[in-house]
Amino acid sequence: MPLTVEETMLNGLPICRGIAIGKPFFLNREEFKPQELNINPGDMKIEIERYRLALSRSKQDIKRLQRQLESESSDETIKILDGQLEMLQDPLLTEEIETEICSTEKNAEFVLQNALERFQKQFEKLGDAYFKERFQDVKDIIRRVTTYLQEGRNLSLRDVPPNSIVCAYDLSASDAAESTYGYVKAFITECGGAASHAGIVAKAKGIPFLTSVNVNMLKGTQGQMVIVDGRLGKVIINPSQETQTAYEQLLREIGDQSRTLEERTKWPSETFDGHRITLSANIESNKEIDLVHQFNGAGIGLFRSEYIFLPRSEIPDEEEQHQIYSELVEGMRGLPVVIRTFDLAGDKAPLLGSNTGKSNLFLGGRSTRFLLKQKKVFKEQIRAILRASVKGNVRIMFPMISTMQELRQAKSILKESQEELGLTDPIPIGCMIEVPSAAMIADYFARECDFLSIGTNDLVQYSLAVDRSDQMQNEFYEPTDPGVIRLIKWIIDQADREEIPVSVCGEMASDPRFVPLLLGLGVQELSVTPRALPTIKNAIRNTSIVEAIQLAEAALEMATAKQVLDLLSDEYQKMVPQDLFYNAS
Amino acid sequence: MKLIRKVQVKNQLGLHTRPATAIVRLLQTSKSEVFFSHKSETINAKSILSILILAATKNSKITIQVEGEDADETMEKLVEAFENQFGE
Repeated sequence: MPLTVEETMLNGLPICRGIAIGKPFFLNREEFKPQELNINPGDMKIEIERYRLALSRSKQDIKRLQRQLESESSDETIKILDGQLEMLQDPLLTEEIETEICSTEKNAEFVLQNALERFQKQFEKLGDAYFKERFQDVKDIIRRVTTYLQEGRNLSLRDVPPNSIVCAYDLSASDAAESTYGYVKAFITECGGAASHAGIVAKAKGIPFLTSVNVNMLKGTQGQMVIVDGRLGKVIINPSQETQTAYEQLLREIGDQSRTLEERTKWPSETFDGHRITLSANIESNKEIDLVHQFNGAGIGLFRSEYIFLPRSEIPDEEEQHQIYSELVEGMRGLPVVIRTFDLAGDKAPLLGSNTGKSNLFLGGRSTRFLLKQKKVFKEQIRAILRASVKGNVRIMFPMISTMQELRQAKSILKESQEELGLTDPIPIGCMIEVPSAAMIADYFARECDFLSIGTNDLVQYSLAVDRSDQMQNEFYEPTDPGVIRLIKWIIDQADREEIPVSVCGEMASDPRFVPLLLGLGVQELSVTPRALPTIKNAIRNTSIVEAIQLAEAALEMATAKQVLDLLSDEYQKMVPQDLFYNAS
Repeated sequence: MKLIRKVQVKNQLGLHTRPATAIVRLLQTSKSEVFFSHKSETINAKSILSILILAATKNSKITIQVEGEDADETMEKLVEAFENQFGE
């Protein structure tokens, strides 16, 4: 009897809209069975280096653990760990594994896994129970090394087959960063909030992303077709021929729509009643510069400098940073470039391999607060930016400033660096208003800055007390909350009084439905992920500034996020009725 | 120069993790090649995993083979370590 499978629909929360048709690929970190991959002889050196780094990081881990145990005086455990440290330097795990990587041309995880299986057989043969038991130590350290190998550079995501719908419990920013368009068609996860950094990276790459999906439901569908509809937040398993044809047709139409809008990015960035808006791009790597030019971005409104750590997890020195920033500044050919100093901690803490513990990543020592404590790191970055600034049009932006004292300290480090370098030209500086209390004293910030930028992602999460990476809280993460809109209005009014511009560079700016509202509130610059430039420019060009101001006034009087979102969605539908993406319902 | 000596494991638990750690640490600075033979197995004494897999229990007889420029000194230190039971 033929097996009949019905079309099944799963619901999720869209992080990156978009449609994909592909086959599921499961990314399972918990499973201790690394994939077998072929390494090109040319990449052997890198593979060996990667293995050595994993060994050395494992050693550091164990030493740290030992220090911790010393204070608890667990001598016995320290001795056991001594043994593990020796194992990490054992020729069987160093030279032999390296030789085997070279001779088999396989990835380190795989070779190591094979070695583990060999050790298991050898230990099992031992008659003495005590010696047999020592296999646990071997297993323990190999597991540790493997964890390091699979982190950062994610092999499994870099090498997925074409047209994969990647399904995972959770996704890190580096996972998303490693994915290649065309190979990874979409992401489906159980965890991860709407504004998680994995989400931001996915948007930058234009990869549809659904979260809060029961991924287990997809197991057993391997090899079958799956459709992801990021507009509606739906996953369709076993689509009927009819459904599949309809989606293929839709994909073609969306493709046509995108090409038209991309073509139109040459047109000026102004509302149809002639109000000019600066439309810039948020980028995290110089690789995105070409795309910004292709879509006629007015400059870089936000360079997320902390992403230069990827994938190596350590801070490049001043010289290397100088090269990266110079390439950026020169690549933008005189257009303005806003470089944001390292915004660390929060969900990007793992990038630095920082060991701050899991709790409270979003509070406490992050961003500028963190940098003011790491003065050397901060200064190296400032110096690298200043040296690159002579090659073009550079502005510096400090993230998550929460008090005037922080701003002044940051400025004094800047001044110090300028003096050291003998640079006399003032460099425009701005700060990101992301904390509600900072928003309330935006008038003071406006007096001591050349521009302000509203980071809506964090402003929303801190205002509403919602952790944006927490899936349980997703339903509460509402960028259209009237409280947030009033805060934005307040910030803009303060900046207007000091006659300095305000930009919005959060995810809110990349959603075309929010464009009229932001313009109506008085935002002069929007900075969006490069892929959103065509859609956002189109939204700007279809907006009337007069009507936008009225719309903003109406939104400011509303009581709930839902009311505001409905208002904006209706308005957008009227404004850009042809958009297949955002008008889906 | 090549030296060969026989020693006996005196530790209660045999050449378990702690003595094995002591051995590889002791040999870290040695320029010689060092092998242990026990029953029919011969292993590289600078590899802690190999020592553990040797599973030498108390009273096992180990043949030590040292070859290299500092063979004398290395052998002396090793035998001494076996004698005083690796400080246990």
